[in-house]
Amino acid sequence: MAKNDKSREAQKLVWEGAIPLQIHLHESEVTTLPPPSPAMILAPRIGYLPLLVSQIKPYFSSTLPPGVDTVWFEYKGLPLKWYIPTGVLFDLLCSEPERPWNLTVHFRGYPGNVLSSCEGEDSVKWSFINSLKEAAYIINGNCKNVMNMSQHDQSELWRSVLNGNLESYLHFASKLKFGFTADDLSMKLNISSLKSREASTEADASGPTKAGRIPIRLYIRSFNEDFDDLEDLPVIDSWDNISYINRPVEINDDGNCFTLGDAIKSLLPEFFPNKTLPKDSACSPNVKENEKLEPEAAGSGATGTDEAEEMLQERLKSCSLSDTPELKLIRIQGIEPKLEIPFAWVVNNLMNPEHYIHIIVYVRVG
Amino acid sequence: MDSEDPKVLIYFKATGDAPILKDSKIKASGSNRFVKVIDHLCRQLRRETLFVYINSAFSPNPDELVIDLYKNFGVGGKLVVNYASSMAWG
Repeated sequence: MAKNDKSREAQKLVWEGAIPLQIHLHESEVTTLPPPSPAMILAPRIGYLPLLVSQIKPYFSSTLPPGVDTVWFEYKGLPLKWYIPTGVLFDLLCSEPERPWNLTVHFRGYPGNVLSSCEGEDSVKWSFINSLKEAAYIINGNCKNVMNMSQHDQSELWRSVLNGNLESYLHFASKLKFGFTADDLSMKLNISSLKSREASTEADASGPTKAGRIPIRLYIRSFNEDFDDLEDLPVIDSWDNISYINRPVEINDDGNCFTLGDAIKSLLPEFFPNKTLPKDSACSPNVKENEKLEPEAAGSGATGTDEAEEMLQERLKSCSLSDTPELKLIRIQGIEPKLEIPFAWVVNNLMNPEHYIHIIVYVRVG
Repeated sequence: MDSEDPKVLIYFKATGDAPILKDSKIKASGSNRFVKVIDHLCRQLRRETLFVYINSAFSPNPDELVIDLYKNFGVGGKLVVNYASSMAWG
């Protein structure tokens, strides 16, 4: 399986990815002088905050006030949703990645109005399996593959996520027979096909081999003003400031290289305005040249997508304010991938274990 | 993002020993989060907790928008929501 290993290098990195946390006990729960030192802990990207509690508790057990409650975490006043993977929370809330990430832990006063109730690992597992079922429903039109999985296999699948064991995960996930985790959609479409995009035969061979739907969770942060520096962005103090959108990406069997840019465009068409905007075509003559250089793209349905990419690049460069929303940043698994990369690569490498791709989008509106 | 707020027809179906609702069909605003649907059910049935599913299959994330659930999982112009007093589909 050397070929698979090669084409999924990034997936391995994602699974090994961790965020250094510096966890402070909230001052209202400090009962000793001096207050306890913060706990330093490595949090797996694909993991969930409640799964860290057993490691964190010993740091603070001697100073906690009496009583028991659900443990919860907060970042700059915002209670963190426990069912969002830790890596996604970090990418979403830390505009400028902060290492270590300073979080506050609470052992009392669970904010039940903001966070749904959590009973430790059982709740997280339940949420994970339900997300997996939801993803299966999007991909297959039902989730029988997950529901028919034996309890043993389901538990082992969960355990492999818990332990960050990719080998074991791939073994048990393969029993679910998702089209795109097999060789189907897939790994043929790797970096080499990107290099040889002009060779249409190659592009045909490397394109997605069948139509399919890819489950996506989108987190959109909107800003009213333009910004150059991520550090200047305001702190998020409410989940209402984040648009949470669940829309699958439809992949058609048209033999063309379907890029991340194409996927984003299909998810958020409002950010890719009409391609005949006079302002854009006037100031970017090289768009047309590029079309001529890539006849296989121009001669097919992909024309608009290439143009849209060019336009997006223009927009990213341009500081002129307009009424059209402007995509400022796309972040998946801590990286800001280029829009030109094949979407199948994103699916194979950057997908979370529950078969969702979590995409963070920063956009300037108005 | 959409300026219009489409209405979604929701069908509630009791599962197991859960009581049957008087109003098993409601129209919900698409911009509502699913947690509102759960709250509505809990209020109607005077329950603290319920297990709520889509299409007898899975429990969505409470933050998901009703319109997204309808578009992704709606059948025949409606969104089918099952509810149970105990876990029905693991």
